[in-house]
Amino acid sequence: MGAFQWLMKKITKAFGRSTNALFYTLLYREVLKEINDITKNEEKSLIVLREIGKKAANESCERHSAVFKFMPGNPKKVLEYFEILWVVVFGRELENFSYEESPKEGSKYNDYVLKIEKCPICAGYGQDTEDSFDFNKIKDEKAEGFACGLCGMLESVANFILKVKRSDYRIEIVEQRCIAKGDDCLQFICKIYDYIEWKDLMNSKIKERISLGVYFDEGIEEEIEQETKLDILDKLQDVISIDKIEEYIDEPLESIKERVSEIIKDKLNMEPEHFFDYFRNYEDDMIRIIGYLGTHLLNEYGGLLEKTLKNEWFAKVLGYVFKQLKEMTLLFIPLDVIRDYNQLLVNFLDGLAPEEMVENIKQFTGKDTINYLFEGIQMALENLGIDFTELRDNIWEELKAERENGLIPSEASTIERTRERIPQFINIIQEILMVINDILTLPIRVLISESHYGIKTAINSVVSEEEGLYGSIKGRFDNIFDQIQEIRK
Amino acid sequence: MNYSRNELIQTEATMNQMRNSIYGLARFMEKSGISNLTTKLRQMGQNIARTYINYWKPTNSISVSNIKDVLTTTYQLILNSSVSIEINDVDNLISVQDYKCALCKYHYNDIEIAGCEIIIGMISELISIISKSSNNSEAIFLEPFEVKDSRAYGNKSCIHLYKFKIGKGD
Repeated sequence: MGAFQWLMKKITKAFGRSTNALFYTLLYREVLKEINDITKNEEKSLIVLREIGKKAANESCERHSAVFKFMPGNPKKVLEYFEILWVVVFGRELENFSYEESPKEGSKYNDYVLKIEKCPICAGYGQDTEDSFDFNKIKDEKAEGFACGLCGMLESVANFILKVKRSDYRIEIVEQRCIAKGDDCLQFICKIYDYIEWKDLMNSKIKERISLGVYFDEGIEEEIEQETKLDILDKLQDVISIDKIEEYIDEPLESIKERVSEIIKDKLNMEPEHFFDYFRNYEDDMIRIIGYLGTHLLNEYGGLLEKTLKNEWFAKVLGYVFKQLKEMTLLFIPLDVIRDYNQLLVNFLDGLAPEEMVENIKQFTGKDTINYLFEGIQMALENLGIDFTELRDNIWEELKAERENGLIPSEASTIERTRERIPQFINIIQEILMVINDILTLPIRVLISESHYGIKTAINSVVSEEEGLYGSIKGRFDNIFDQIQEIRK
Repeated sequence: MNYSRNELIQTEATMNQMRNSIYGLARFMEKSGISNLTTKLRQMGQNIARTYINYWKPTNSISVSNIKDVLTTTYQLILNSSVSIEINDVDNLISVQDYKCALCKYHYNDIEIAGCEIIIGMISELISIISKSSNNSEAIFLEPFEVKDSRAYGNKSCIHLYKFKIGKGD
């Protein structure tokens, strides 16, 4: 599984509002039954359920649109990431599925057929008295099955991604086989249309629904106007897309330098040397600015950091993590590692920045560079809401003080709940620190490998899931997401 | 071989889109001339409970002495909600406060119904079914009374009120 897929799945699962899956399935069943109580026609009911699913997912996507800006904008890739769509919509892993391309003449893209052996929506359907929606009454062979609402949700999410990525294509996802209807699996067909074909298709569907008497809303067929104001993510997504993480990680330092050079030329209409010349003799400020802008750039991801820091408790926790990290980096990371990190920066700037500037940076000790970077990050964190002047020496004194001050409510159950969560918070802090430690070893791996074994060995040591840095970081983030899920329960 | 409902009990699903679907359904019902939305949603909850009880129940016997624990467990394990519970012996009311209700999060201007009507229908039915089958003379029976506050109405939390009776099942 790619890094991007894994990350998206983890984020969705950790931050979504979940319930027991049986409750979800039974609620879904009840929605269909209520619709059928009104329409008194099973085929019409399935059409209405699909429409409700489409609108529900679209509403959810609109609220979290920033997340989807990192998704791939190519319709074929969107379908390749079907597993993520499934997790976004259903919140659980997609298991035992197969994926086939079906040639489509005269079209740029083929159709895709997805077979899923196990369907949570149909699980155990028909075994209980309340399973009263009768699929045997459906006579139209083209009618969808029980998962039509889910299908509408998947289609909505896929098309929302294509819309925010300004793609000229749209995807139709139709349920072809249904276990509740007696088929051996759940099967979807995914068809890709260009935008004009898509509009025609949607118009014909509206007419069909009006003739059936089940058209109850203008729906989401009306394309939402493209945003005219482009935010920093819109600009970034043209050159950096997180779905290309795997591609970037394969590129050695020289290729990354080339890419940065292209970005500066393309976006700023400047030669890299001219750009860096602005910082000549202000190299320390440039490093601070990297830390400052890097943190603000991170916040551009849906304003997540800023929103998180509005919560006083999270702001304090992050403040303590930052303070501890600042101290730990210099205390525990070997000086050689810091020097290597500095050397990597010098190597990176060599050829991009003026020679005099590179010489000036060579004069910095690794410790200087790290300190400047932290100063920049701290300034950004202060901007975003952490009041460092209010923080005590360490988090333990903070916890102790809160209990003594009686700021935590006296109700026994609340105290117990808070205490129950402390180990999870501590685990998260510990894992974050370990992740950062892991990342800080990166330059050693790159530099040593460059000089002794070649860059490929370094990349292998970075991306290996079992032993490499990627595997180690992935494992730590697995733990962090697990702890977050525990806290959210 | 497809999943069984027993297997579903062991896993979780993300409610974001399903929660929105409830309000989509409510809009469809209103446009179709259904006036008793509250009753309809509670009936949906009752139907869920009647199936759910075949696969899981918090305990075999429920009385005033353990009702708080039973409600806490049920809200936690079915809905992933940590709730605060108060019992009013004078009016025979149980109040459950949920800050992160699974079915309510946003206030909609075009629809005046709380998704958690489904929850109070389900919880009261679940408790009453267990009590009915327990043969305990002190068994407690719940009826959905009111969704007093809801995040769907713009409140900070959802407050579910249940009317309770002791040893007086149907």
